[in-house]
Amino acid sequence: MATRNRTLLFRKYRDALKSVRIPMSSLASSSVPKSSGGGPVIEMVSTSLLHPNRSYTPLSTEDPGNSSKGANAVIVGLPPAWVDVSEEIAANVQRARTKMAELAKAHAKALMPSFGDGKEDQRTIEALAHEITNLLKKSEKRLQKLSATGPSEDSNVRKNVQRQLASDLQNLSMELRKKQSTYLKRLKQQKEGQDGVDLEMNINGNRSKAEDDDWDDMVFSEHQMAKLKQSEALTVVDSVNELAQIMKDLSVLVIDQGTIVDRIDYNIQNVATTVEEGLKQLQKAERTQKQGGMVMCATVLVIMCFVMLVLLILKEILF
Amino acid sequence: MVLVSAVRDYVNRMLQDISGMKVLILDSQTVSIVSVVYSQSELLQKEVFLVELIDSISKSEESMSHLKAVYFLRPTSENIQYMRRQLSNPRFGEYHLFFSNMLKDTQIHLLADSDEQEIVQQVQEFYADFIAVDPYHFTLNMPSNHYYILPAVLDPSNLQNFCDRAVDGIGAVFLALKRRPIIRYSRTSDIAKRVAHEAAKLMYQQESGLFDFRRMDISPLLLIVDRRDDPVTPLLNQWTYQAMVYELIGIQDNKVDLRSTGKLPKDQQEVVLSSEQDAFFKANMYENFGDIGMNIKRMVDDFQQVAKSNQNIQTIEDMAKFVDNYPEYRKMHGNVSKHVTLVTEMSKIVEERKLMLVSETEQELACNGGQVAAFEAVTNLLNNENISDIDRLRLVMLYALRYEKESPVQLMQLFNKLQSRSAKYKPGLVQFLLKQAGVDKRTGDLYGNRDFLNIARNMARGLKGVENVYTQHQPLLVQTMESIIKGRLKDVDYPYVGNHYQQGRTQEVIIFIVGGTTYEELRSIAQLNASNSGIRFILGGTAVLNTKRFLKDLEEAQVIARTNANVV
Repeated sequence: MATRNRTLLFRKYRDALKSVRIPMSSLASSSVPKSSGGGPVIEMVSTSLLHPNRSYTPLSTEDPGNSSKGANAVIVGLPPAWVDVSEEIAANVQRARTKMAELAKAHAKALMPSFGDGKEDQRTIEALAHEITNLLKKSEKRLQKLSATGPSEDSNVRKNVQRQLASDLQNLSMELRKKQSTYLKRLKQQKEGQDGVDLEMNINGNRSKAEDDDWDDMVFSEHQMAKLKQSEALTVVDSVNELAQIMKDLSVLVIDQGTIVDRIDYNIQNVATTVEEGLKQLQKAERTQKQGGMVMCATVLVIMCFVMLVLLILKEILF
Repeated sequence: MVLVSAVRDYVNRMLQDISGMKVLILDSQTVSIVSVVYSQSELLQKEVFLVELIDSISKSEESMSHLKAVYFLRPTSENIQYMRRQLSNPRFGEYHLFFSNMLKDTQIHLLADSDEQEIVQQVQEFYADFIAVDPYHFTLNMPSNHYYILPAVLDPSNLQNFCDRAVDGIGAVFLALKRRPIIRYSRTSDIAKRVAHEAAKLMYQQESGLFDFRRMDISPLLLIVDRRDDPVTPLLNQWTYQAMVYELIGIQDNKVDLRSTGKLPKDQQEVVLSSEQDAFFKANMYENFGDIGMNIKRMVDDFQQVAKSNQNIQTIEDMAKFVDNYPEYRKMHGNVSKHVTLVTEMSKIVEERKLMLVSETEQELACNGGQVAAFEAVTNLLNNENISDIDRLRLVMLYALRYEKESPVQLMQLFNKLQSRSAKYKPGLVQFLLKQAGVDKRTGDLYGNRDFLNIARNMARGLKGVENVYTQHQPLLVQTMESIIKGRLKDVDYPYVGNHYQQGRTQEVIIFIVGGTTYEELRSIAQLNASNSGIRFILGGTAVLNTKRFLKDLEEAQVIARTNANVV
């Protein structure tokens, strides 16, 4: 598809027009290095002197993080506090993702037939799963903090950030659950496999005592294995339950794709109507309160009190 | 598909190089352009956390310098004014400006003048200046569409605006497709000729550098026709899903507003009907009403199966499976309720307005039948109390268009009857329509009674019988397209602009209808495209019409014509 870049022409005009404007001469700011745009910092200061009703805080000037493509310095204020919360959650999500990759590896390793006890593996898996679930839970709690009230633009930004993080969290928890359920299934299969082997041994009945002893040992350790696997299964099931809870909470926040809520124009309109509605509600509340029965009652009572007082005084005077 | 993906690519490119939290600022037209192709959740993934309209954003003074602003606007003088004000009082950290069409040098000058703090990082032209509502269909959704009906002398400045917008839109489509077409237009229509010539001037002279793409042997064809060549199609009642919803309830930017139709649960008051996102709709949008009913019933049965199995949760595994499938289930539930609500609503309206009866007569009027029988049928329906005003008007118009030269006495009778029956009818509307779109004014053979070949074809069709009485009508566009496929589009009827002639067979044809397209025509295009004829057709127009909209345009044009006639 065709596009046309007008930036060069725009910059040419902008520079040409700038040189036509009042030149900034004596305002010294020697410590500031001149960038290609011709000392925008100087211009900042001088324009704020020339136009005293301009009101924005020149906080940090040369912010290298923000200037791109050799463009001029941009005044960047500090972002509001909730951005820290959102960044924290985003970092948690990232951490959870890496841990998921580790978990996948641990699952694979545990499923491979091994001679050892396998307890080590189980413990790592458990720990990892637990960690991830905790991360997700923590993130979800922090997510609730991002909710804002009031129909300001900032609250819209917050709501949208919240939505996006919520969908990320939901995807992660679904992934975790899928991984765990496949692991569980494979575990089960393996267990049955072992039982199969057990059966086979039973059939080949002609055994010497030594073999019988061996067999006993095997049965014994098999019991242990079975118990182990059962306890694993239980822990996995536990985390499934927890995650189900999280998903339920999150699903309220996440947008359903393809519905009206997912439309940009609907969201823009909705903001406008919510603001209007809010105003209407406020006005209605004000009116009801003014007309409120309570106010009437109170006024009537006060008046009655005064009347009674006057009557009392009159009674005293007359008698 | 190609148009939708072009607009999506443009939006993606706008957002991809800018990191950090962004705010997207649109104007009232670009909001439609972006909303039909991009969803809110996709925007959120690109870190666009706020979307605003440019006129509402100027009212607020809140400074949000941690956000980077991405503006996507049409290059109108109003928008440039807004931009100037916002640049002199900046609220955001960075400014990236994208315009949906070509900027004039003066406009760039004005913007540069206001950018004293040098916060604008880029100014680009991304030519997404059309609303890509369906695959193979775009519209410009012009608010004052009725100017195409009026002759140029009546209101030259508004007509110039109309033409400019049409030419801008067409130019944007071809820039998005990276092609430069050969242009033909409908001979009898002044407005089509004007749009065609101005588009040619734009593409071959004024901005020929911009349009100079890699020359393939076969350029695409741009055919500009006038709505008045086929006034019958917008007047008919429709029975295929998408067209019917638009006719009876109304679709705006792929959204259906059901708020006026009684009590509905909150999530069903406004629904989205988009073939990209809704597989059931995509499969059924061109099916007729009876088939839709059956398909919906099947969908509901499937859904009930799923719902039943979901209620049977006994073990942990079941619960896990339920939680797994919950998003899917919820989506399915929403979809099923949406379609069921729509079809119920439409059935109700069909019943109320006795549309089966009306539509049968309409189709007879449009396709075949003798004059006497038609007159009788129309008179009976006019006498029927249950028929609404708009349906009566529709019937008389269809009769008039077909039998305007035969038996004028009976025609007069119908006019009088219509006037006496419908209180809101503005007298003279039918005559106005005849004046604008009568048999002398039309190119092409609307009723198939102009040359022998068409008469023979009609007779053959009559003998064969039709599959469905209610959908037997075929828009004039189908004939035009068939001629194009055979390479036999007459030069006499559709002359070329300039001296570029067609060598070889085209593979891509864009048909632009000045005055508006209809969903029935879109259906024909989709069917032709699916039939692998070797040519891909794309339909576009200045608006999308249903009966209400078409009649509104006629009325508004009539008012202007009348006031001007009085003045003169």
